[in-house]
Amino acid sequence: MRFLALFFLLGMACYGQALDLKDLDKLAAKATETTDVTLDGSLLRLGAKFLSADDPDQAKVKKLVAELKAVYVRTYDFEQEGGYSEADLASIRTQLRSPGWSRIVGVQSKKDHDNTEIFLKTGSEPGGLAIVCTNPKQLLVVNIVGKIDLDELSDLGGNFGIPKIDIEKKKPAPKKDSDK
Amino acid sequence: MSNLEDDLRLALRREEPSLDFAERVLARLSEPPAVPTWRQRWAVLMRPPRLQWAAVAVVLSVLIPAGTVQYQKELRYRAEGERAKAQLLFAVRVAGSRLHQAQRKVLETSRPGTRL
Repeated sequence: MRFLALFFLLGMACYGQALDLKDLDKLAAKATETTDVTLDGSLLRLGAKFLSADDPDQAKVKKLVAELKAVYVRTYDFEQEGGYSEADLASIRTQLRSPGWSRIVGVQSKKDHDNTEIFLKTGSEPGGLAIVCTNPKQLLVVNIVGKIDLDELSDLGGNFGIPKIDIEKKKPAPKKDSDK
Repeated sequence: MSNLEDDLRLALRREEPSLDFAERVLARLSEPPAVPTWRQRWAVLMRPPRLQWAAVAVVLSVLIPAGTVQYQKELRYRAEGERAKAQLLFAVRVAGSRLHQAQRKVLETSRPGTRL
């Protein structure tokens, strides 16, 4: 009985690390296209088990997801602008303002009206990552629960169709003759 | 001793077949095989099966349904696994590409000479 109670509490603790995305469900009715990916616990492990070790990209994903607890993705595409409002995101933003979460990147494009925000959960186990991308006609929310290597994830993002960026390393300035 | 030898010799002495022996053999060969009666045919079905065949039948009647169920379960498991894998790859691709884009934009703006 004690084991059951402990198991239940641990389960609730892990569940509590994930963002509550229920408020987004109502947007599915207005959206022209919806993607809902919910991979938690056994399903995540099952998916990882089926990744091929022979395929270099899949092998990298397998390594990356080894310490993950759950992965959630919600995307909503709208035919016209204004399919969703900032109020629909209020609940998620409130959760992302809670202790532990920190906004590490915020990129706004005035040209494309794209807004990408990346949040990282640190300090408490198991950690996590949240990505909120808003566009007048599209909304994307990603929540990854668990330890994640951002460089590896970004590297995989570059491998999946987007060219990899070469980060310019600062070269030491050549010594001038006058310095001698 | 000599009596035994005599008896053996007498018993094993060569005897010539009768003159119609070959004819009788050929006649028997040309005869059609005996057709079993309907009673004999049905009697085969009524015979009790041998124990080993009965055992094989019982084992197969258990193994075949169990194997079918296991195979169906395996198929379902594979389908679920492939679906989870596709979802996982999609999620990593989406998250990775957005992170990559953000990283690229940050690097672009932080380069010297870029107007902010």
